Amino acid sequence: MPLHLTLNGQRHSIEIVRRTPHLVLNVDGRVHEISEWSAEQVGRMVNQNEAVVVSRALVDDGGRETCFVRIDGRTHEVVLIDPREDSAGHDSTRDEIHAPMPGAIISVHKQAGDEVSRGETIITIESMKLQTALAAPRDGRLLDVLKVAGETFDKDALLARLEPADEA
Amino acid sequence: MKRSQTPEPLFRKVLVANRGEVAVRVMRTLHAMNIRSVAICHRLERNAVHARFADEAFEIRGNTPVAAHLDADQSIALARDCGADAIHPGYGFLSENAAFARKVTAAGLTFIGPDADTIDLMGDKISARNFAVRHKVPVAPSVQAQDDMASFVEAASAIGFPLLIKAAAGGGGKGMSIARDASELRERARIASSEAQRYFGDGRIYAETYVEQPRHIEVQVLGDGKGGAIHLFERECSIQRRFQKIIEEAPSAPLPETTRAAICDAAVRLAAAARYKNAGTVEFILGSDGRFFFLEMNTRLQVEHPVTEMICGIDLVRVQIEIAAGCGLPLSQAEVRAGGHAIECRISAEDPDAGFLPATGSIRLLRAPAGEHIRFENALDEGQRVTADFDPMLAKLAVWGKDRAEATDRMVVALKQLTILGLRTNIDYLIRILESMAFREGALHTGFVTEHAETLAPASVDEPLRDRILIAAALGQRAFRDAISAVGEPYASMAGWRN
Repeated sequence: MPLHLTLNGQRHSIEIVRRTPHLVLNVDGRVHEISEWSAEQVGRMVNQNEAVVVSRALVDDGGRETCFVRIDGRTHEVVLIDPREDSAGHDSTRDEIHAPMPGAIISVHKQAGDEVSRGETIITIESMKLQTALAAPRDGRLLDVLKVAGETFDKDALLARLEPADEA
Repeated sequence: MKRSQTPEPLFRKVLVANRGEVAVRVMRTLHAMNIRSVAICHRLERNAVHARFADEAFEIRGNTPVAAHLDADQSIALARDCGADAIHPGYGFLSENAAFARKVTAAGLTFIGPDADTIDLMGDKISARNFAVRHKVPVAPSVQAQDDMASFVEAASAIGFPLLIKAAAGGGGKGMSIARDASELRERARIASSEAQRYFGDGRIYAETYVEQPRHIEVQVLGDGKGGAIHLFERECSIQRRFQKIIEEAPSAPLPETTRAAICDAAVRLAAAARYKNAGTVEFILGSDGRFFFLEMNTRLQVEHPVTEMICGIDLVRVQIEIAAGCGLPLSQAEVRAGGHAIECRISAEDPDAGFLPATGSIRLLRAPAGEHIRFENALDEGQRVTADFDPMLAKLAVWGKDRAEATDRMVVALKQLTILGLRTNIDYLIRILESMAFREGALHTGFVTEHAETLAPASVDEPLRDRILIAAALGQRAFRDAISAVGEPYASMAGWRN
């Protein structure tokens, strides 16, 4: 059973091919020989005879694991996908507005039932002393707004929903 | 053999009414001057680096850490109780609060900063501007907002668009926006006024000529409080996002010598006229036509002070303390020497690829760059949580080189060494700015990051690198490593990994 990961929105898989004498991995169908690697947060990795120093940190955010990987002065975020959640099919992100940050509602510009167009501001929030406008992800009608001005919320909290798009 | 005598310290004990990297920065100089340091911290930051770094640390109370740090009476009472004889405010928080400065003095303590009246004068942008006009320091044409929005829009339109709307009591980009026509002005002025009311408790705003493609040039000044003032040259802070500086340098990127001299002279004239006492910064906007306008004066130590220290070889916190103790200015204008070039980058918890949205999380891995001419100003710890309670700035990285090219190269290397993992930061974005042709050529202006948005987007990841990243991430996961070390058929595929 391969490990699934996403990088920059693209899904990938890694499978262990061999453990000895070297670790051999299959990445999206390409075979890599890893002759040296470290379990430490900062360590050398030799892949196809090329050595790189890798720094990494794993963050477990409520069951979702993200690995921050820094190679050659550049950091990348890789999401490790739990196979139990892997079957989640339909993408609800275009119907929902979630809080990008913890913060407070400054003002609510649209109400349930309002027609909105993509990019139109629905809610203004404040986080870290900065105001941010949260916009409609697509054209549609607002199903509901779940917060009122002054209310606080955590990161990823559901703030507003659009009525499901016509299947036409 | 006779032992040399350590001179009596200028103060016995100084309370630093701040937190984070600036508190640590101030304490470093206090320790070097044989002065005991006192930290204040909210219970949520009891184990913070600044509290551990101080000789003494006391708890301040408040519903939030920010509220506690803004409570002037508590820190003054603590300073008196612990026998401190002075308070250093750092920057931010109470550093430009005239009432605080007054209370500190009334309590019989020394405020390491200017007189309260000077803070009042410069803290209000309108009175500061009028003062600048009186002393022949150029200012941009502007109009103050009246209660009657219609006449404000009419008067402002007469100056000509584009206009920059600002809060009278403002700072840090709050309540600031650009209007390109009368309808934008009406809309933005209303928002700016409400933002100003909320942030500063003062909804007054004004509109002034917006200089297209302006450069932000500021001058470091020192004043003795008796009319004596000198400058330590200028800094360029044109690389900004959301009206906040992210890269600063000293001296500025290419600047005609006559312009430099005129700007520095204007800053000294203003500081001398105000009988300014302390280190301070006079900020200007410089147009491509060489005209420059006074923006504001910051009556405190500046976030980007290290670049001036690095080119002048002067410890500005030490100078602040000496001036506050009545020692006057440590050197004359003729004795000021600047050499080489210094650059500072502000390291922030934010996502430059998503509108610079602040990021939160924990620092899971921290590796600081090291080397000659590198300063990493921070109060960071592995395991530290970065919350929405404070400003997203995590640390500052400053480097010096013999010229701008060498400083830029050194900064790129230092940024590549700097590793802060566990949350999004702007480190890679800063590298992309420094590596851009436009930055190298010194073609700077405050809209730089918007103009070059495409160039500054992250480069794509090619296949060999992508596989390497994925492998590194997989090997970072315990379950995957366990599957590798599991005893089993050497050719078997990994079986049922679980968390």
